Amino acid sequence: MYRLSEEQIDYILNDIRRGGIETEDLQLNLLDHICCIIERELGENDDFGHFYHSNVHRLYKNNLREIEEETVNLLTFKNYYTMRKVMIRAGVLSATFFIIGSIFKLQHWPGAGVLIVLGIVSFSLLFLPLLCIMKAREVRTSRDRMVVALAGLIGILFSLATMFTVMHWPGANVLWFSSVGVSGLVLLPVYFFTGIRHPETRLNTSLMSVLILGISGLQFTLLNTRPGPSQGHVRVQAWIAEETLLQSMQPDSMSVAAASITNLCTQIKSMALANAADNPTLKLREGRPGDEFTQAGQGVKLLAALQKAVYDYNKVHGHAALPYDGTLLDNDLSQTGYQYTNLSLLTAVTQLQMYLANAEGNHRIAAVIK
Amino acid sequence: MIFSSELIKGTLKTIVLKMLADNGRMYGYELTQKVKEQTADRIQLTEGALYPTLHALEQEGLVTTQLEYMGKRVRKYYSLSPSGQTRATEKVSEFAEFVNTMKLLLDTDLKTA
Repeated sequence: MYRLSEEQIDYILNDIRRGGIETEDLQLNLLDHICCIIERELGENDDFGHFYHSNVHRLYKNNLREIEEETVNLLTFKNYYTMRKVMIRAGVLSATFFIIGSIFKLQHWPGAGVLIVLGIVSFSLLFLPLLCIMKAREVRTSRDRMVVALAGLIGILFSLATMFTVMHWPGANVLWFSSVGVSGLVLLPVYFFTGIRHPETRLNTSLMSVLILGISGLQFTLLNTRPGPSQGHVRVQAWIAEETLLQSMQPDSMSVAAASITNLCTQIKSMALANAADNPTLKLREGRPGDEFTQAGQGVKLLAALQKAVYDYNKVHGHAALPYDGTLLDNDLSQTGYQYTNLSLLTAVTQLQMYLANAEGNHRIAAVIK
Repeated sequence: MIFSSELIKGTLKTIVLKMLADNGRMYGYELTQKVKEQTADRIQLTEGALYPTLHALEQEGLVTTQLEYMGKRVRKYYSLSPSGQTRATEKVSEFAEFVNTMKLLLDTDLKTA
C-alpha cells in the first residue's frame, strides 16, 4: 500500500480546488476518495505524479467542475420546487386578500384595511422576492441578474409605498421617491445598456425602456414634491376662517347678557393670543390652567366667569341655546389636570361666539348656517 | 456487461440508501467498492454521480454524517437517519415492484414480437 505524504495530499487538494470544486464538503469527499484510490492501486515504489495525472480523469467525463455543478443543481433543484410552491401560495393568498379587501372597502365594512395590508405584505415581501430569486436563476449574466434584482426591489418599494399611502402612515413620500428614483436613475440605465448591446433584444429593450420611463414619469408627477401643511397650520387657518366669518355674523343689536359674554370671550381670546405671541403659528402647547393660560390665574378666572355667564344665558334662552356639554366650558376649572392648548381655546371661544350671534337673532346668518 | 449511466442515475438513490441500510455507516469510496464487489463489477458508481447524490440526501435529512480526521484528510461517513431508514424500505420495495412490472412489460413485448 502506498503511503501519501502531506505534500502530496496538499497537492491533490489544490488540484481539486483548481479544477473548480468550490464546495468545501465536496473537496474533502473527493480528496479522501482520490487518496483511497491511490493507496489501493499504487505500488510502494511507483511514481505518484504519473499515476495521479493518468487516473484523475476517471472521476469525470470532461472536467472536474461537472461534479460541483451536478451537486449544486441537485441541491437547488429541490429548493426550486419548495420555493415555487411557496411562491404560488403567496400569490394566491395575496390575490384573495386583495379581492376580499376590495369588496369590503366598497361596502365600507370593517376589516378592509387589514385585508388589504395583508395582501400587500404577502405580495411584496413573499411573492415578489421569491419570483425575483427564481427569475434571477433563469438568466445567465450577472448584469441580467442585477436587472431582475432591481426590478424586484422597485416592485417591493412600489407596493409598500402604496400601502403606506392608503394607511396614512408616515414615510410614504420617502418610499415613493425611492421607488421612482431607483427605477428612473438606476434600473433604466442598467436595463437599457444591457439590452441595447445585443441585436436580438434591441427593439424590445427600447420599448421597455420607454415604458419604464413613462411609468416613472407618471408616478413622479403624482408625487407631492413640497411638504404638505402641518396639522397645526391647518387648524390655525381654520380658526382664522371662523374668526373672519364671525365678524360678518355680528348681530345688529345684542342683549345685555350676550354683550357680557362677548366681552368675556374677547378678553379670553386676547389673553390666549398674547400667550402665544412668541409663537406666531400658535403651535399647540399643552398646559394646565394656572400654568400656561395664566397671568396670575386671570385666565382661569375669566373662563370661570364665562362658564357661569353661558350657564345663565342658557337658563333664560333654553337649554340648547349655546353649546355647553362636552365643550371647553364643561370642565371643572379647579382641576388643574385639565389639558388644553391656546389654539383649542381660541377655536372653542370663537365657535361659542358664532352660536351666540346665531341665538341673538341674526336671521340672515342663521339661514346661511342652516 | 456494464450498465449505462442513464440506467444507474435513476436508481442511484435507491442503491445508496440500500447500501447504507445493509452496512451501517460508510464513506464514499467504500460505497463504490462495495457496489462494485456485490454486482461483480457490473455496476460501477461514478464519483460524478455519487457525491452529488450523497449531498442531496444529506440536505433532505435522509442521511446523517460523521467526520473523521486522518491527518490532513477528513473522511466523511454517511449513515441513515430514521427518516432515511423508512425511505430506504419504501424505495427498495418500489424498485422491486418496478422490476416486476418491467419484466411483465418486456415479456409481453417479446411474445408479441
